[in-house]
Amino acid sequence: LWLKGHNFFASFIRAARPEHLSPTVRQRSKRMILDSIGVGLVGSTTRVFDIALRYCRLYSSVAVSSVYGKPGVKLSPTLAAFTNGVATHSMDFDDTWHPATHPSGAVLPALLAASQMLPPNTKPNGLDFLLAFNVGLEVQGRLMHFSTEAHDIPKRFHPPSVVGTLGSAAATAKLLSLSSAQCCHALGIAASLAGAPMANAATQAKPLHVGNATRLGLEAALLAGRGMEANPLILDDIPGCSGFSAFYSVYQPKPLSAPGEHHEFLLEKQDIAFKRFPAHLGMHWVVDAALSVRNLFINYAGSFSPSLIRSIMLKIPVSKYINRPFPSSEHQARHSFQFNACAALLDGEVGLGSFSESSIQRQELRELLDKVVVEHPEDNVANFDKMYGEVALLLHSGDVLTGKCDTFYGHWRKPLSKESLLKKFRSNASHVLPEEKIETIITLVDNLENLADSSQLACSL
Amino acid sequence: MWAKTVTGNFAKVIHGLNANHLTDQVIQRSKRMILDTLGVGLLGTSTEVCHKVAQYSKIYSSDLSSTIWGHLDFRLPPVYAAFVNGVAVHSMDFDDTWHPATHPSGAVLPAVIALSEAFPQKKKISGLDLLLAFNVGIEVQGRLLHFSREARNIPRRFHPPAVVGTMGSAAACAKLLALDQQECKNALAIAASYAGAPLANAATQIKPLHVGNAAKHGLEAACLALQGLQGNKQILDEESGMGAFYTDYNPQTLPTLQSYPWLLEQQDVAIKRFPAHLATHWVADAASSVRRKLVQSSENLTPLDKIGKVILKVPEVRYVNRPSPASEHEARHSFQFVACSALLDGSMSVQSFASKNIHRPALRELLCKTQLEHPPDNTPSFDSLYCEVSVTLQDGNTITDRCTTFYGHWRKPLKKEDLEEKFQSNVLGILPTEAMEGIIETVYNLEKVEDCSVLSTFLSGQSARALPKKLRFF
Repeated sequence: LWLKGHNFFASFIRAARPEHLSPTVRQRSKRMILDSIGVGLVGSTTRVFDIALRYCRLYSSVAVSSVYGKPGVKLSPTLAAFTNGVATHSMDFDDTWHPATHPSGAVLPALLAASQMLPPNTKPNGLDFLLAFNVGLEVQGRLMHFSTEAHDIPKRFHPPSVVGTLGSAAATAKLLSLSSAQCCHALGIAASLAGAPMANAATQAKPLHVGNATRLGLEAALLAGRGMEANPLILDDIPGCSGFSAFYSVYQPKPLSAPGEHHEFLLEKQDIAFKRFPAHLGMHWVVDAALSVRNLFINYAGSFSPSLIRSIMLKIPVSKYINRPFPSSEHQARHSFQFNACAALLDGEVGLGSFSESSIQRQELRELLDKVVVEHPEDNVANFDKMYGEVALLLHSGDVLTGKCDTFYGHWRKPLSKESLLKKFRSNASHVLPEEKIETIITLVDNLENLADSSQLACSL
Repeated sequence: MWAKTVTGNFAKVIHGLNANHLTDQVIQRSKRMILDTLGVGLLGTSTEVCHKVAQYSKIYSSDLSSTIWGHLDFRLPPVYAAFVNGVAVHSMDFDDTWHPATHPSGAVLPAVIALSEAFPQKKKISGLDLLLAFNVGIEVQGRLLHFSREARNIPRRFHPPAVVGTMGSAAACAKLLALDQQECKNALAIAASYAGAPLANAATQIKPLHVGNAAKHGLEAACLALQGLQGNKQILDEESGMGAFYTDYNPQTLPTLQSYPWLLEQQDVAIKRFPAHLATHWVADAASSVRRKLVQSSENLTPLDKIGKVILKVPEVRYVNRPSPASEHEARHSFQFVACSALLDGSMSVQSFASKNIHRPALRELLCKTQLEHPPDNTPSFDSLYCEVSVTLQDGNTITDRCTTFYGHWRKPLKKEDLEEKFQSNVLGILPTEAMEGIIETVYNLEKVEDCSVLSTFLSGQSARALPKKLRFF
């Protein structure tokens, strides 16, 4: 019998302590924080970010929270969270977890904004901040385990907009030290603000899913803090009257154990994937496979000579929204197996510049795209833990060269080294910040647990 | 050339509809809805939930600001004004209901009024502009509801105002902002990513926020579209778009603009007589009728003491089945509570849901004697459900009455006097008489009003005397 499962979550949020954070969890989550900030900083150079910021600047009062890449600009907390969330996901460059969601972008901006909102003598310290961040991740992960559907690449609702909103509410509730009852209501209120359809993925509106998740979760916690009440059984499965189950066709909620002496956070067992280039996670397999076969081809032919190629065969899982033979926008290109494979073959690497308008429209690239054929082997499941990417070059000569990737560099099974992660951060941040500021952020995050006032992090952006 | 996608088609229609398309019937019905919604909203500003969201929203402010209904003392940016006023409208579950089921006006009216006050370039918006935009917002909701058979029944998964209401608000605001077709498409696409709230929050304090957020987010979506934000241009066509909210989804293109057949023409709304879930209105009428018969047939002045059992034959609607509600929100969603209240008092009113009335011993006693039955022929659809109340006395006598159409339902619409009486009763104590009468007059003549900001002036409590020049008709 599932009784008051929702209260288990509220108790967990309330009772979690810094001591519950193991070294592994601390280390992994700090890596996530750093990556998320970097990605947000580079994201502040995008058009979608521009639109979001222009919109939010219409509201100026109680402007206390910082905006990525815009020193001197402050917004009210939820709108700062929104803008920074949009920045984080603007290029699809942010982290991905298993089961699938983008966990950090939904949580970090809310915490940064909230930390600046609190009065000087009640500022949470770095450890509280780190704890709240992890509470936000943990809640998202636990919720995704309520549905077997969540294990596969999504089809209906975009996960950050579903679990991300509740994760943000939980994290903020933690940072603001809401009571157990208030934590409960924060989750309930957040549920009514959750859920965006997948169809907006691969469009300019997708980044808003993360922006809204973090903003509306923060809003839910603020409303709960002011006494707003929702259904305390929102996470339970009640036939005939859906709560959180509305977002899934299969839903089996489980209680979350209140952290006793030891609580094992999901992040302990299941690390995150960091992206090496700004595109959907699925692209990373085909790119690594394409790079591998490209090397073979160069050894074979002396150089990369597209004219020798008759066709390019991609073996990929079935997933409609990332299968695009001829993407016409940057957003579509970031969600196209075909495009990413061809860009990797042509250029020997995929990076920020690969998704510019001129890069997407290049003649040589379109010619390569024309040669692409796609196959969906049955053993290639649409699941970030199990999928693989295979790129085969069928040459006019009759020879076939193949590259396969089971685990790309950056995946949780093959995590980025510290150097690689820092390199990504520095490269991203340098688009908008001077060197000293960049190094300051690195130091702050690295020493997060020792920070007396965590709002310093937000102020340093 | 007709648009190839349903989304493109919607954008084309939103963009192409103009005042000439409004028929008399549609104008008349929609003005009734507007008047009812304003009254209900004004009353709702006195609720606790509304106080909370207003306090919360004060953390935002801007140069542009819009009226908070019933308040002269503070204003908010349009998006937050739409939010607060939308919450007010649904705060007591007193607002209109349509078929297929949703609360159409609360998601749209607060947004268009707020937007009309804070127009870019301070443009003047006429009453007719407002009326047209309002109707576009209603129409889009109705059309979307027809895309799924699921929508014909009382909802079980997502609360419809949060789904179609957000889209309706976006469409209405897109219309008022005169967005071009591309922008209309994007407004719809962006709005879809804000849509949807689970039904389980009905019967809680959060439910009113479903309507407030629908209004707010639809307006935000239109504003973002105006700024150039783009979404999926086939958002209404795809299963992974609007289809995400339904298990069966069949989008259709709209009729041609030539003599456009508005849904409101064929299908009116239901206006509530007391602030509770629509399904309880059947129960209230049946129970009141049983009580009359009881009192008539008995020499004893309080036959109610002699009640042994109360049986309600109602459709199966999980979230309105509450044997022992503890809060006002729960009481508004309880067949049992409304039946017993009506049996005790003879009729239902705003006061029926006051805390002291919810907890009175006579009522609790009667609740204990009340049971529900779900006859298989009683389908959970507002178009076809019925309610039967059977009271069995201790002496074995049973008095029964059945209600198939309550007064206020679209099949038996409220008369003009009764609609006005509801409005006046709601607004008494919230606005001064002059402002109240100013609203009635303005709404009744809405299509002739030159500058609809006069409506907002009245809504904030100011009277026409304060601004004599504003109340001008064409």
